[in-house]
Amino acid sequence: MAEVFVNMGQISSFKTQGILTTVGLGSCIGVTLYDDVAKVGVMGHIFLPRSREKDVGAPPGKYADTGIPAMINEAVKLGAKQSRLKAKMAGGANLFPNLSANSTSIGQQNIDAVTEHLKKHGIAIVGKDVAGGYGRKMRFFVDTGIVTVTAIGKDAVEI
Amino acid sequence: MNDAKLDFLKELANIGTGHATTALSQMLSGRLFQLVVPDAQMLPFAEAAEYVGGAEQVVVGIFVVVSGDVKGHMAFLLPLDSALVLLRLLIGDNSGEMNELARSALQEIGNIMITSYLNALSKMTNLLMAPSVPGVAIDMAGAVWQSVLAGAQVTNEVTVIRTEFFADGESIEGNIIFLPDDDDFKKIARLLGLGEM
Amino acid sequence: MAKTVMITDDTAFMRMTLKNVIEKNGYSVVGEAGDGEEAVALYRELRPDMVTMDITMPKMDGITAIKEIMKIDPQAKIIVCSAMGQKPMVIEALSAGAKDFLVKPFDAERVVESLRKIGS
Repeated sequence: MAEVFVNMGQISSFKTQGILTTVGLGSCIGVTLYDDVAKVGVMGHIFLPRSREKDVGAPPGKYADTGIPAMINEAVKLGAKQSRLKAKMAGGANLFPNLSANSTSIGQQNIDAVTEHLKKHGIAIVGKDVAGGYGRKMRFFVDTGIVTVTAIGKDAVEI
Repeated sequence: MNDAKLDFLKELANIGTGHATTALSQMLSGRLFQLVVPDAQMLPFAEAAEYVGGAEQVVVGIFVVVSGDVKGHMAFLLPLDSALVLLRLLIGDNSGEMNELARSALQEIGNIMITSYLNALSKMTNLLMAPSVPGVAIDMAGAVWQSVLAGAQVTNEVTVIRTEFFADGESIEGNIIFLPDDDDFKKIARLLGLGEM
Repeated sequence: MAKTVMITDDTAFMRMTLKNVIEKNGYSVVGEAGDGEEAVALYRELRPDMVTMDITMPKMDGITAIKEIMKIDPQAKIIVCSAMGQKPMVIEALSAGAKDFLVKPFDAERVVESLRKIGS
């Protein structure tokens, strides 16, 4: 089965079958959207919560506000129905806590932003493994809709 | 990619890593030296995202906020096995166990490397560049690297200096990441007589 | 009579390293502080003959701690041990009342030399 790695700011998709994997989830959020009837799966790797004017030509998947709509569009293009889409998310960790001692960490800001934008588009979050102080790897099996999350020193979890 | 900018970066890299290496070498009683001329690169975001080959490899990352006349961030990243070599040389610990003392030794190594680098730049430019208390993460390279980029709110380009050391018959790899805020990068360039960048 | 020293540094590794050097050379380490706040409190309690002080620390930085300790005891003998060796920082530390400034990494001889010079 084909496996595609989704890097920071990227969005990838499969219909019917395929594995979408993202490895560097620190403060970033790995988001998956799945239509289990049309068997369409999309994965995004969100870097920051809000797009920035000075980041000219940035891929939409880099930011939560532009990334979620872009992921929905990609899903729909492949034959998904927005009303059937369900989301899962992983990441939003804080690997360097002392550096955000007096403010909300980027990881938490990302969690809040992704949650807010999914809600805005009426998409339910049916699985998540977020926050904490460690990095994650996320794998999305489009044929079954199963999403697994692994981290160093921890057992793999299915979300 | 601006050639002048790249040459400037390489110059900064040479000076900064020279000082950092001397500092590290002193900590190891002179048993460490720099193997290769540091390789400085300015990576666009998409490439920076892929910079860490082997995103699942475990690395030690030390990350600071820089304040003063120059604002920004700096990080020192090294693969875990390189870190273990340094620990063996520094505290005679062969166990490979990442206990309190080992973590604090790594934090101190990173702190001294980064601060020495900044001290060198500061001396050349007369600009104050004060590092914060460092944060230390030991985790998958992809996650650590990405957290550094996000923490620094990197937009487009990332300066990476890769350098290799040789100590006690073993090769040690380190990456120094210098992330000044855009305006401050220009300030440094101007002060070093490199005109507008 | 061995002079008493209090060590201040936010990393356990550096405190251990300094303690070894200091004790090997006939001084006695009577306290260890992990940040400026702890250093001030411990100074009040222990009144060591000398203090080593890091600059970059959580809760309270070394410069502030120096100023606070000098308020408690204007004769306090504080030696700064920090990686941050940029001129404005050295000047600030010495103006605040530190008697010497050692830039990390320093060798054992330099530390002992400073203790002997300042302690006398």
